[in-house]
Amino acid sequence: MIHSFIALLPDKCTSCMLCVRECPAWCIHLDSHTEEVTEPGARRPKKINVLDSFDIDYSLCMYCGICVDVCPFDALEWDQHRALISDSRVDLTLGITQLTSEKDSAN
Amino acid sequence: MMNVSVTETVSPEKWRERVLQAHDHGFVFFDFLTAIDRDSGVEVVVRLAFNDLSESISLSTSINHASLRLDSIADIFPGAGWHEREVGEMFGMNFVGNDMQQLLRHEALGLPPMRKNVVLSARVVAEWPGAAEPEIKQDGRKVGNPSRRRQRPPGVPENWLQS
Repeated sequence: MIHSFIALLPDKCTSCMLCVRECPAWCIHLDSHTEEVTEPGARRPKKINVLDSFDIDYSLCMYCGICVDVCPFDALEWDQHRALISDSRVDLTLGITQLTSEKDSAN
Repeated sequence: MMNVSVTETVSPEKWRERVLQAHDHGFVFFDFLTAIDRDSGVEVVVRLAFNDLSESISLSTSINHASLRLDSIADIFPGAGWHEREVGEMFGMNFVGNDMQQLLRHEALGLPPMRKNVVLSARVVAEWPGAAEPEIKQDGRKVGNPSRRRQRPPGVPENWLQS
């Protein structure tokens, strides 16, 4: 496995912010809000975090993998996708869609 | 590949003498010289090896922050001269006997950046992404209780971040 990309599994992410806070390069930006969900049979509505945006700025990322390690829900994982070439810094910031879809399907 | 590897700590006074001794013993291949900033002082490390790389030795010495001076070993290993200048530039170490002219940084740039007490201006200016809390974010209104504790970036001392 080549550690060339960090992919996101958004369904597993609980917006706990651990990756954002542990990242030494400060390259992860996460935006979320809380919603109340009423489950049938439950006495009170439950508060859950809903992920609004998740960006990794690959112009800053140094591929240390600390975010992958600290994630308690395995929502981040190494991937061997490598196509991060751009002449614009803005294009190196990848959001949820790209962090999910640009995963290498081969592995 | 390296087969036998030894690590040894020496006093700053014995530094040059010990390196010369190791050189005469057969450790004639200079691998690298670098430094680590610790609470007790700046630790300088040099790694030497036999020419066939069958044996290697790592020598380290700790120098008090108050007087960052160490004898140069550039006359024993000419290649160490460049490494010593890098350590001088990044840690503020003065290697006596070597030309300590700066390699990359302008002398007016202030404190050596690899020292832990140096404030990195980029860290102070940039907004820490970890400061955001999920609760604060619903339609611009506060929902639920915001965190009682102020979050701080790991490894960044208090009072570093203004806000």
